[in-house]
Amino acid sequence: MNVLRKLKSWEFSLGILLIVEILVLGAINPTFLNVENLLYSTSDFMHILFAALPLTLVIITGGIDISGVSVMGLTSIVLGLGWVAGLNIWVAVIVALTVGLLAGLLNGLFTAHTDIHPLVITLGTLFMYAGIAAGLPGLLDALGFEAYGVAGFSAYMYEGITGLPHSFNNLAHGGVGWVPYPLIFVLAFALLLSLLLHKTRFGRYLYLIGVNQPAAQYTGIPVKKSLVVAYTLSSFGAAIAGVMLTSYFTSARSDLGSEALLPIITAVVLGGTDIMGGSGTILGTLLAGIFIGYLRQGLLALGVTSDVVPVVVGLLLVVVVAAKILVTRFNEYRINRQALKMQRQAESLPRH
Amino acid sequence: MSRLFRNREALVFLLLIGMIAIVGAINPNFLRPRSLKNVVNNSLILILVSIGEMFVILTRGIDVSVGAIMGLSAVVLGLSLNAGVALPLAILLTLVVGLLAGTVNSIGVTFFRVPPIIMTLGTLGIYRGSMLILTGGSWIETIPQNIKDLGKWKVGGVHGFIWITLIILVITTVIMKRFKPARYFYLVGDNEDGALFLGIPIRRTIFAAYSLAGLFAGMAAVVFVAQVGFVPMQTGNGQELRAIAALVLGGVNLAGGVGTPISAFIGALFLSAVDSMLIFLKVPGYWNNAVGGAILLVAIYIDYRLRQAVALRQLLVRQRARAEYARKVRSQSDNSQGAEET
Repeated sequence: MNVLRKLKSWEFSLGILLIVEILVLGAINPTFLNVENLLYSTSDFMHILFAALPLTLVIITGGIDISGVSVMGLTSIVLGLGWVAGLNIWVAVIVALTVGLLAGLLNGLFTAHTDIHPLVITLGTLFMYAGIAAGLPGLLDALGFEAYGVAGFSAYMYEGITGLPHSFNNLAHGGVGWVPYPLIFVLAFALLLSLLLHKTRFGRYLYLIGVNQPAAQYTGIPVKKSLVVAYTLSSFGAAIAGVMLTSYFTSARSDLGSEALLPIITAVVLGGTDIMGGSGTILGTLLAGIFIGYLRQGLLALGVTSDVVPVVVGLLLVVVVAAKILVTRFNEYRINRQALKMQRQAESLPRH
Repeated sequence: MSRLFRNREALVFLLLIGMIAIVGAINPNFLRPRSLKNVVNNSLILILVSIGEMFVILTRGIDVSVGAIMGLSAVVLGLSLNAGVALPLAILLTLVVGLLAGTVNSIGVTFFRVPPIIMTLGTLGIYRGSMLILTGGSWIETIPQNIKDLGKWKVGGVHGFIWITLIILVITTVIMKRFKPARYFYLVGDNEDGALFLGIPIRRTIFAAYSLAGLFAGMAAVVFVAQVGFVPMQTGNGQELRAIAALVLGGVNLAGGVGTPISAFIGALFLSAVDSMLIFLKVPGYWNNAVGGAILLVAIYIDYRLRQAVALRQLLVRQRARAEYARKVRSQSDNSQGAEET
């Protein structure tokens, strides 16, 4: 029974889907099946996973955080500016990650301590963080710091802050054998979040908040603290994504990741998390994120232009959610029919 | 005073006047009729998109695809004009494309019951992608002069589009106040279960909301092409987020059921006026988003505190009235007891 239920689970279907996807793409283009190629191409979409995995926690509480795409750019630009200002690159990384944490803390405190919808709050911070990221280099320059790196202002406008040290760029391009570092990091991150969500009391709190927040409050659960932690983690994930993107593109830019909102939310929702809150798993998001990433890779490998990719991802999102809702409604209908039938049978039996 | 605080539109409007006065004091050029007219002219696109989005938010939904619909409609307008379609026909086609794109959202949300944010996020990708596919990813730069003339066309010294937008604003405001089926938007958003028991056509109302949002995005596309004169691929990018921000500023409640076209108008005017003010204050353009976001956050926080204060005062008044009533009842019963004794 237990095995059967596992087989029927959404994560299992996603796993099958992922394997089918890779096989189909491999059948069309055999070079796709090269294992090294398959592993290294994950670096192209790791930022989606880094942001989507902790966002799962936020969406489970019934909230949403759309500011992550701006946190990526903000982290990247802080990292670059820190390095230009003469910090050791790893110190700059820590500073940038701290800024990401603080950004999430602001989201969390605002959401937890007011009754304003988190969509509005993170919409405001989305603008604010993106604006700060865009304005910071100009501000520092106006104040007299040489904030653009060695190549000067025009080069910055064109390619961001470049010339980051090789050891840092190696973060996204290096690896252990066939496994690139970003994949290792993302798997470790997923494992940690998975333990946090599924094996600790804090994780259970998040589900209860998503199912029924007033009930969670009356039960004496630290609702506010839990929300703050969830939003902070979400931004922290986006901050790691920003660092990884900076390393991947070997330059720090304020607009890194700004196109990633659709795939990030698609990954979470396709992974089986209910957008209304109360259900979802880290494993589901991980599998769905990899699925979307390979879909993009595969489409590009098939010679489709990158313009078609958002159309396919958008269709996928809508069709999957619509299908899931239709299946649920059909199941309910069937169960009701069965119950009705059994009731009628019971009524037609002769009474003793 | 407290009535003023509860009237969000008036509060934001006063704030806007105050800010115009301050910017005018720093840079008197800002107060010239010409630059003030330009401020309004620049905000028309956001106003139209915001009014459309308002219908959706009134029903407690959300539509993040309006920016993409605007972009897609603008591309259709540019391409059809370049193909030699007559101007009125091309504008009609643009509006129809906007309406149809909105109707796709309607179908998903009402018939397939897809949560609005998911449905419109999906169509956001679909429309933006189709826009790129239609043009092959390049800008539409050469656009016939006739539509650009429309953007410069003036009546009584004021741009024709300003008049048209104001007329649309007045018509929608009157309809939303006086026309019974238009009140359904408020009812559905405020209390869907209640609306169901009253026999309100809930799904048809929600259907209309998303279609109207698409239609208004189509109108915004016409204004955009006429004013800008070419169609870059970023057309409408982030416009949906700016529209939501404008609505929240203007006092439209994301929880549904509260707001008027006037709120959308004031909020959108405020948000675009801030951009113009920053130019006059010689702040570099890349700060626009930071300032807009900060203003949105401060505004919703102040609104939250005011609502809390009002709620607290109502509670206090109610408690006092209850205590008063209890005292009255007690003294009455004392009197009647006294009457029995004598």
